[in-house]
Amino acid sequence: MDNTIEKRIQSLNDRLTYIRDIFAGKHQQDVGLLQERLSAFAARAAEGAMRDPFAELASIEDLFAYVEKRLDETLTPMDKVRIVRHPQRICLRDILENVYDNFTEVGGQDEHSLDPGMLIARAVITRRRGKKTYVQSVMVIGQEKGHGADFRNGGSVKPWGNAKAQEYMRVAETEGIPIHCYIFTPGSYPVEDYPGAAQQIARNIYRMAGLRVPVISVISEGGSGGAEAIGLSDKRLMLSHGYYSVISPEGAAAIEGRLKAGQRATPELIEHCASCQKITAQDNLRFGYIDQIVQEPHLGARPWHFDFFRQLRQEVIRATDEVIISTRLMPVLKGIAVRRRRRPDVDMDEMHIRWGLTGPAKDRLVERRQQKYLKLSRTACRDRRPFLTKAAKAAANVVLAPYNRFKYDVYRRHQRKLEVMCEEIGNELTLFKQRMLAPWHRLTKRLPGGKTRNADDAAKELTALSTWTGDARRRKWNYISPRYKIDRTITCPNAAQYGCLDLWGPDLFAEFAGVCSYCGYHFPMEPEWYVRNVFDQGSVYEFNSEIEAGNPLSFPGFDEKLAEARRKTGCKSGCMTFEARIDDIKIVVAMLMGTFRGGSVGAAEGQKFVEAAELAMKKHYPFLAYVHGTAGIRIQEGTHGVIQMPRCTVAVRRYIESGGLYMVLYDTNSFAGPVASFLGCSPYQFAVRSSNIGFAGPRVIKETTGVDIPPKYHRSYRALSRGHIQGIWDRPQIRANLKQALLTMGGRNLYYR
Amino acid sequence: MLDVSALLEAIKASPYREIEILAPHTGRVNFAGAQEGGSVMGPHGIWKEKHGTLLATLDRERNPKPIYAPEKGELRLLHSDLEGRFVEAGTPLAVIRHFLTREEVQSAILKKTLHLFNAPERAKYYFIPEVDKKVRASGSQAVTVREGMELFIMSRMKREVPLAYAGPEGVIYAVYFKHTENLDAGQPLIGVCPPDQLSAIQEVLLRVQTEWTEQE
Amino acid sequence: METSQKDSLQQHKVLVANRGEIAIRIMRACRKLGVAFTAIFTAEDAASGHVRYARENGGERSLFRVSSYHDANELMSVADQAGCTAVHPGYGFFAEDFRFARRVTKRDRKMIFIGPSWKIIRELGDKINTKRLARSLDVPTVPGSDRPIYDEMEAERIARSVFEFQVQQGIKRPLVLVKASAGGGGMGIEEVYDIDMFRQVYRRIRNYAMRQFKDEGVLIEQRITDFNHLEVQIVSDRSGTNPVHFGTRNCSIQSTGLQKRLEVAPGFVPDEMDYTFDARKVLDDIVHYSLTMARKVGYDNVGTWEWIVTRDGSPFLMEVNTRIQVENGVSARIARVKGRDDVDLLAEQIRIGLGEPLGYSQQDVRFEGVGVEYRLIAEDPENRFTPWSGRIEHFSWKPQPWLTMLTHVPTDEPYEIPTEFDPNLALAIIWGRDLAEVRERGRSFLRDLTLTGVNKAGEPLKSNIAFLRDNTDRILKF
Repeated sequence: MDNTIEKRIQSLNDRLTYIRDIFAGKHQQDVGLLQERLSAFAARAAEGAMRDPFAELASIEDLFAYVEKRLDETLTPMDKVRIVRHPQRICLRDILENVYDNFTEVGGQDEHSLDPGMLIARAVITRRRGKKTYVQSVMVIGQEKGHGADFRNGGSVKPWGNAKAQEYMRVAETEGIPIHCYIFTPGSYPVEDYPGAAQQIARNIYRMAGLRVPVISVISEGGSGGAEAIGLSDKRLMLSHGYYSVISPEGAAAIEGRLKAGQRATPELIEHCASCQKITAQDNLRFGYIDQIVQEPHLGARPWHFDFFRQLRQEVIRATDEVIISTRLMPVLKGIAVRRRRRPDVDMDEMHIRWGLTGPAKDRLVERRQQKYLKLSRTACRDRRPFLTKAAKAAANVVLAPYNRFKYDVYRRHQRKLEVMCEEIGNELTLFKQRMLAPWHRLTKRLPGGKTRNADDAAKELTALSTWTGDARRRKWNYISPRYKIDRTITCPNAAQYGCLDLWGPDLFAEFAGVCSYCGYHFPMEPEWYVRNVFDQGSVYEFNSEIEAGNPLSFPGFDEKLAEARRKTGCKSGCMTFEARIDDIKIVVAMLMGTFRGGSVGAAEGQKFVEAAELAMKKHYPFLAYVHGTAGIRIQEGTHGVIQMPRCTVAVRRYIESGGLYMVLYDTNSFAGPVASFLGCSPYQFAVRSSNIGFAGPRVIKETTGVDIPPKYHRSYRALSRGHIQGIWDRPQIRANLKQALLTMGGRNLYYR
Repeated sequence: MLDVSALLEAIKASPYREIEILAPHTGRVNFAGAQEGGSVMGPHGIWKEKHGTLLATLDRERNPKPIYAPEKGELRLLHSDLEGRFVEAGTPLAVIRHFLTREEVQSAILKKTLHLFNAPERAKYYFIPEVDKKVRASGSQAVTVREGMELFIMSRMKREVPLAYAGPEGVIYAVYFKHTENLDAGQPLIGVCPPDQLSAIQEVLLRVQTEWTEQE
Repeated sequence: METSQKDSLQQHKVLVANRGEIAIRIMRACRKLGVAFTAIFTAEDAASGHVRYARENGGERSLFRVSSYHDANELMSVADQAGCTAVHPGYGFFAEDFRFARRVTKRDRKMIFIGPSWKIIRELGDKINTKRLARSLDVPTVPGSDRPIYDEMEAERIARSVFEFQVQQGIKRPLVLVKASAGGGGMGIEEVYDIDMFRQVYRRIRNYAMRQFKDEGVLIEQRITDFNHLEVQIVSDRSGTNPVHFGTRNCSIQSTGLQKRLEVAPGFVPDEMDYTFDARKVLDDIVHYSLTMARKVGYDNVGTWEWIVTRDGSPFLMEVNTRIQVENGVSARIARVKGRDDVDLLAEQIRIGLGEPLGYSQQDVRFEGVGVEYRLIAEDPENRFTPWSGRIEHFSWKPQPWLTMLTHVPTDEPYEIPTEFDPNLALAIIWGRDLAEVRERGRSFLRDLTLTGVNKAGEPLKSNIAFLRDNTDRILKF
C-alpha cells in the first residue's frame, strides 16, 4: 500500500477516534457510518483492489469533513469540555511552532523543568512593511498539556510553576516586550507546598493588575484559578471550542449533588452542570469577560489545522497592536488605526507598529486595563439601591474628588510641615527658658516644704483608689452567640490530643468567646460577634446593603437557595461592607460571611468589595477584609464569579498603590478563589486561631490529584510557616491586635495618619 | 543476644490481646448496633485519621459522645444489658479480642531488647519542653539521651520535679508513657537503643516483619 | 419552728463534690442536719475513707464513681442521676470557681451552690477587684498599684515611688513586687531590690503575662517580708445583710512552699503574750474591716478574709477566700454560740447555704481558750517539704476529750497514698484553756501519735510530726 495512503488512513482513524471520544457515546449512527466506510476502504486499500484510491480517499475525507461540520452544530458545552481535554487538541508547543516565527524555551526543557506544566518561551514575530522587515519579541507564557504527556500533568500547574510565570512576567516588563498568555489548564494543582497554590496565584494576579507591558491572553481551557494565574490581560481572546469556567463540570456536579468522597456524579448531572454554568466562548463573549472569539475548525483545532494557526497569528498580532494603539492620546488617529486593522482583507504581517511604549503610555495602559476590569460584571448582581442614591454617589465622586485631594494631599502635607516647624521653635524656646530661669530654680530647690507634700501625694497614690479606664476593664462582650442559651456540653475536637474536658455551652459561647479554655481551640462564631465586639460600640455604619446576590445564569434551583440564605441570615449577600472605628481609628471593612452560602463570592459580593476598597481610597481610611469564612467563588454564577478574582484584586491594587493599608484577617475556613486573589495579595494577612486556609479542600485535592491529604493540612499554622500569613491571633484579642497592627503599620504613607 | 525466635514463638502461642472498653465517664449508654462476635475496625487511614467502628454513644449533659473501637478485632463481649442505662465512669462496656499486629509484636520484642528507663515513682511523666518539641517535630528517635541528662518532668502531689536519665547513651527508640496517665513505679518510660546495638535491633525488626503474618 | 426548718432541709440532697477529709466532714454535717447526700470518687481514690463513709452512712444512690473530680460535667451528670438539689464544693477543686457556681445555679435543672453566690465569688476572686473594693472602703491594702499597668513609663514611676515610700517608712531593704495582674498561684511574680533592675524585670513579667494570660497588665506592689498571716472567719446567711465573724486565726507557720502547716485561733493572744504593737486593736481592726467589706458586697455564705500584719502592727488585706477553709474547725473549736461549744461551721454553711436564716447575731458568739490545728502530712520538711508517697501501715492516736481528729485515712487497714491530690493525711484540732495548756496538749498528742509506712523502695514513711512539734513552741509569737 502506498505510504501516503496509509498515513492518511491513519489520520482519518485519529479523526474518527476523536469524534467518538468527544461525543462520549452520542451520535452512534454517524460514527458507525464513518467507521464502516473507513474500514471498508482500508480493507480494500490493503488488498490493492482500487483503481483510483486517491479519489476514493478524497471522497471519504469529504464525508468526514461533512459529518464534522454537521456534528459541530450539535456540540454541547460538555462536548467542548471533552474537546479541550482531548490529547489531539492543539497544545502550546503547536502554537509556538506554527504561530511564531522562532522561539527559545526559557522555562526549562521538557521534563527537565521546575514545572513542565508551565511553558515559557521568548518568541519572535517577523513583520514587513514595504521592503523593511521588523522582528518583534514577545514573552509567551502558558500551560503546556502536551499531547497526553504524563509529565506535563495535564497543564495543572504547581505553585512553583505559577511563580516561574510571574518571574518571567517581570522579565518582560523589564525588557518592555508584550506578553502573550495561552491558557490551557483544567485548574491549578492544589497543593499547599511553598509558595502555596492560592498564595502564588494571588501574587500573579496582583502583579498582572499592574504590569506595564501589553498582555494578551488566549483561552482554550480556562479552569478557574489556574486560568486567572496568567489570565488578567488587556485583551482576552478565546478559542471558539474552548471553555472558561469556575470549576470543572464534575466538580460542580459533586457540589450540586452533595456527593461524599468516593461517590461519582452521573453523566447526566455533569452534562447538566456544564450547560448551566455557561462556560462556552459564546457565553463569555456575551457576558463581556472575553473580548473576541477566534473561530476554530469544525470540532475544534488539531495540530494539522494549519489555517487555524495562521488565523490565530493574525488575531494575536492584531490584539497586541490594538492594545498599543489604545494607549495613544489622539482619539482620531486611534480610531483610524484600529479600523485599518479590522478590515477583513488585512494581513497583519504587512503592517507594523512599534510594541514598545513610553512611560506615560504605560501609565495609560495600566489605567485602561484596571478600569476595564472594574467595569465588568456590574449587571450580574441585583443593585437595589434607589436611583437617587446611585446618582448622588456618582455626583459625590465628582464633587468630592477635588475636596479630598485638597484635604489629604495639600492641606495635610502643609500641616505636617507647619507642625515640624513649630516643634523646633518650641524646643529652642524651652532651652532658652531653662537657661534664663536656672538661677531661680537653684534657689527654690533649697527651700524646704516642697518635698514633703510630694511624698504625701506619692503615698496616697500607692494606697488610695485610683481611676481606671480602658479596654482592660471591659468584662462583657457586646454580643454573645445565641447558642449560649442551650444547657448542654460540647466536646472540643482536640480533646483526645490535649485532654480537654467537655465545655459547658453557656460558658463557651458567651464568656469564652467560643474558645476552648483548655487547649485554645476556636469554635466558629457568628459574623455578628466580630461586628459587635471588635469595633467600637455604635460605630458600625453599613453601606451598600441593597446590593443583592442574584442568579445571573438563572441556574436551576438557585433562586430558592438564595432565598433560603437570605431568610436564614437576614443578609442579602455574603459580603457586608461597613465603616467602623477601633478606638477612634476609622476604617472601612469588607466582611465575607461564612453563614451566607458558605461565604462564596459572586458578582454582588465582588461589587461590594470593590466599592468598599474605592470608598477606603477616597476617604483615606485603612481597609480591612475580615473573612469570617469563604468557600470560594460561587459556582452557580460561573464566570460572573471567577471574574471577581482579577476584578477585586485590581481594586485592591489601586487602593494599596494610592497609599492605603490593606489588611486581611481569616477566620474559620477560607478557601479557593478569593484567597487566591484579592485576599491572598495583601501584604498583611493574619488568621484567627484554628482557622483553615488553602486553595482546595481535602476532598477536591484527593479527586484532582489522587493524593491523600494529611489531617490539619490547611491549618493556619502551616500557612504561617509557609509565609502566607503573618500572624495568628486569638479571638478575644482581635480588637487589641487590630489596634496594635493599625498603630504599628500606620506609617506616614498610610491613610489615617 | 536475645533469642528472638523463642520470643516470637511465645507470642505466636497466644497472639491475642483482650481490650476492655470502659466508659470514659458517666452517662447514659446506647449501643450502636455492633454485634457480639462480629468484627470491628480500629482507627485506619494513612494517618489513622478515620476512627474505628462505632461501638456505643455515651450521653452526658446532652452531649452524646461516640465510643469507637480502639483496635481491629472481634467483639467478644458486649454488655448490652446496660443499653439505655446510666453508667459510672469506668464501667466495662465491651471486650475486643485483638490479634496482635506486626508493630505490636515488634514493640513487645523491642521492650525486651532495648534499655528501659523506668519510672522511679508512681506519677505522671512528661518530657521537658525542649525534648517534647523535638519529639513532636521529628519523632522520638531524633533525641539522643545520655547519662545525667535532664529528660522528664515527674508530676505528682501537685509538684513537678525534674528527672534525669540514667543508663547508656543512645536514641529514644520507643516511648511508653502518656502524659495524661499515671505510671506506677517500675513501669518503663522509654526504651533506649545504644548506637552499637542499632543494627541488631533493625535485624530483630526485620525478622518480625518477615515472620509475623497479620490475621484479619 | 425548729421542726419546720428541719423539714425544709430534709427535702434537700447535697452532692459532695470533693474527696478525702473534707468530704467526710461535709457528709457528717449533712447527717447532723438530716440532709441526704451523694458522694463521688475516682478509681485512684477508691480506698479513701470518704468512700467508705458514704457507703456505710449514705442512702440510696449516694456514691458514684466518676472519671475526675475536676470534671464539672461528671458532677452535674451524677447530681442529676442522684436527684441532688445542692452542691457542696468543699475546698480546692470547684470551691472558688464562679463559673461552676454559675452553672449550678443557671442550668436547666437548677441547684443550690453551697457557697457565696457566683457573682460574689467572681467579684472577690479577682485580686484587682478586691483591692479596689477595699480601697473604696478605706480598708488598708498593700501599697502599690490597684489596676493593671500597661505603660512602661508609668510602671517605672510607680515602682520608684514604692521604693521611696519604703525608705520613708524606715525599711532598710526595700523590695518591689512585680506580678502579672491576670496571674495567680505564685506564677509570674518577681521581686526587684534595685530600681535599675526594674525595667528588665518588668519586661520579663509583661512578656510572660502576654504569653500565659494574653494580657500584658502588670501590678506593682511593695513586697512585705516580715509579717504574720492572719485570717478572719466570716459567716453570713443568704440575706447578706448581717454577717457574723467567728474570730481570727494565725496561720503564720508554713512550709517553704508557703503552704499552711499549723493554724491557731485566735490570731494573737494579747493577754498572754507581749507584742510590739497593740495586738488587740489590730484584731479588732481587721475584724471590722472584713465585716465592712462583707456587708458592702452582701456576702452570703462562709468566707475568710486573709490579712498580713507587719511587725509594726499595720494590717494589709491580702485576699478573700470565698469558701470554707481547711482550718475552719480550729475557729469553731474556740467559739461558743449562745453558750454551746459544739459549733460546726460546715453544718452552718450548709444550713445557711440552703436558705435558712443564721438565727443568731454577733452578741451570741463568744470565744474561749486557744485552738491549734496540726496538718499531718507525709512529707520531708528537711528536704523542701517533698511529698512522700507509699503505703501507710499503722495510723493511730490516743483519743482525748480536747482532741478532734479529721482524716480519710483508714486506721484499721493499710492505705496507699494517692499521688493525685494534696498530700494531707489528717487534721488534728487541739483545744486548751490557754496558750500554755494547748501547747502541752499538742506536744502530748504528737508524742502519742503512731504513723508508719513504707514505700516501693522499702524506705520508711517520712512525716512532718517533728516539724509540728518544734513549731508548737513558736505559736502566736510574732
